[in-house]
Amino acid sequence: MTKLPQPLNSKSGSSGDYDRLETLLQNLPGMAYRCLNLKHWPMDFVSDGCFELCGYHRHEIESQSVLWGDFTHPDMIDEVDRIVSSAADRGEPFEIEYRIITRDGREKWVWERGRVVDYRSDGVAILEGLITDITDRKLAEAALMRAEAYAQAIVESAVDAVITVDSQGSIESFNQAASAMFGYRADEVRGLHCRSLVATTFYREFDRYFQRYRDPGDAAVHSVDLNACDKRDRKFPIVMSMRAILDVGEKKYVMLIRDLTQQRLAEKEVRDQRDLLAHVDRLNTLGEMAAGIAHEINQPLTAISMYAQSSLRFLQREPPQLQRLEDALEKLSQQAHRAGAVIERMQEMTRPHQSRQQTVDSGRLLREIRDLGEVEAQIRNYIIVLRLDDRLPAVKCDPIQIQQVILNLLRNGMESMHANHCKPGSKIVLQARIDHEQLRISIVDSGQGISRKFEKQLYQPFASTKESGMGLGLSISRSIIAAHGGQLGYSNNRNGGATFFFNLALA
Amino acid sequence: MTTDDPSQLIFVIDDDEAVRDSMGMLLDSADLPHRCFASADEFLAHHDASQRGCLVLDIRMPGTTGLELQQRLAETGSCLPIIFMTGHGDVPMAVEAMRRGAFDFLRKPVNETDFLERVRDALDRESGSWHQRLDRERVRQRIATLTEREHEVFQLVAEGIANKAIASELGISERTVEVHRAQVMKKLGAKTLAQLVRIHLRSE
Repeated sequence: MTKLPQPLNSKSGSSGDYDRLETLLQNLPGMAYRCLNLKHWPMDFVSDGCFELCGYHRHEIESQSVLWGDFTHPDMIDEVDRIVSSAADRGEPFEIEYRIITRDGREKWVWERGRVVDYRSDGVAILEGLITDITDRKLAEAALMRAEAYAQAIVESAVDAVITVDSQGSIESFNQAASAMFGYRADEVRGLHCRSLVATTFYREFDRYFQRYRDPGDAAVHSVDLNACDKRDRKFPIVMSMRAILDVGEKKYVMLIRDLTQQRLAEKEVRDQRDLLAHVDRLNTLGEMAAGIAHEINQPLTAISMYAQSSLRFLQREPPQLQRLEDALEKLSQQAHRAGAVIERMQEMTRPHQSRQQTVDSGRLLREIRDLGEVEAQIRNYIIVLRLDDRLPAVKCDPIQIQQVILNLLRNGMESMHANHCKPGSKIVLQARIDHEQLRISIVDSGQGISRKFEKQLYQPFASTKESGMGLGLSISRSIIAAHGGQLGYSNNRNGGATFFFNLALA
Repeated sequence: MTTDDPSQLIFVIDDDEAVRDSMGMLLDSADLPHRCFASADEFLAHHDASQRGCLVLDIRMPGTTGLELQQRLAETGSCLPIIFMTGHGDVPMAVEAMRRGAFDFLRKPVNETDFLERVRDALDRESGSWHQRLDRERVRQRIATLTEREHEVFQLVAEGIANKAIASELGISERTVEVHRAQVMKKLGAKTLAQLVRIHLRSE
């Protein structure tokens, strides 16, 4: 390095050198100096930049009426002294950032670089260097640090797990919530592939998501529901979203993961409560109907006990009246069935519907139902006619429920026929045929038909045209058919009576 | 015992066919004559005041209810005892029925022995009150044959007033009182004063 003019120990250069140097120095951003490594660094040369830097004129500094140490921030002067002295002792250059206080009392950050260039005769080091204002940079840095600290605080205090991964999916950072959620410390998870946070059964879904949204092409945040897996192999539901961030040219991804366990539990609780409410509601409706139902059951029970007592009396006659006994017992048995039917209907109401759909041979199912209905038909002296297509296909249904529905419709039909004073031997038809890739089942009676007036409340629970009816049959039948994906329909026949029908899906 | 009075009938009124039929059969088995009706209105259509017996009535019926029928019969002065059949939860109605003078109520399902027993009790009661009414009616008819003067004498004699006092009260001779009194005794079929007083009491 070229020696500066006006050397302290009178080593001088040419005047042409001096001018060139002077020009160079004056144009430096900051202040060039030469000083002695003594307390407060007395300076015998400074460039003109000194005024802009600290507010003092060149002559004021060079005359040493003010010393550089006077400007140095008192908090930092010892540190500056230590660094400069130790560098000087070793003859090495030094670089240091510190604060100064300018003439008008403002604080400035400066950057200084200097080195020993020579020694005075008494051995004191002579230093030369440059001091530049870096206040703007420092402020920007501070702002950046604050922003980073802020972001960091947000990430660390977040309830959701915040994870950053590189473009290959390796985990780079893991916030506290992530640690708590997955059970890994941030340092032990670093470098692991983020897929390992997902349950193995969700690997494919996760990979698809990761591939798809690495470059989403829009600003929207896409999320995916997955099952996660923690360090202890506990599986839990999460929702995850991902954003790409650009970090010095390399793409990285921030993943936000929320543990849905509590939410799912809450949802389940709400669902359970709703189910319970619906059940309670049904029970309440039943409670209101309790008197009516008790009446329904008491009627046949009353009749049963009377028939039983009559039977006993006919038997005790001398001689026993067997014909009348037989009559009484037969009627007694009918009433027992009637009571059973009431209870059955009630159970249908209270039991949560559990549909067990299976593949069923429809022809066989319908023949069985006909046989079951036959008992009731015989009591009324009616005939159930089965009209089935040849080779009926298998259907998909809950056979018990479908049986309930058809029996109910047969019973309704026969009751309607009875009310319509149909002669003994009248027919009720149960038929099945293929209809648009489905099996259509119809029950055709010759009863009263459905009056306009009753049409409106046909499917309403507890509405009945029958004095003894609870009015639940059709409403339950309709829900069963609906649960099978079908619809219970009806129409009045041209020559009297009504037809009820529904379709079942083929297996 | 008047249970076997052939003019007594048990009227069973219940909207439930099976209940009706079984009660009929039970009454049959006990040789109790009866008639069944499906509704209060059907019963009323066949009813006249001369009918005797008792009612077995379902308290809960569509149309005219059991309580309403009880009210209607009371208004016509019917003396037919009513046994109500009640279901579960009908206690307030049963209480009301009893308050209005029902003979009894039986909870469904009914104990048949109780049922037959209560039916017989009801028939007894009806029989008793029927004979009482018949008796009162006969007495009234006889009293109606008395002349005005004889009626006056009958009232005073029955109150225990002596002939002399009656004579002065009515402003007639004691002898005339005696003639009237003999006539009253003969018309009312009383042999002694005590019998006459009893007839007077029964006519009230």
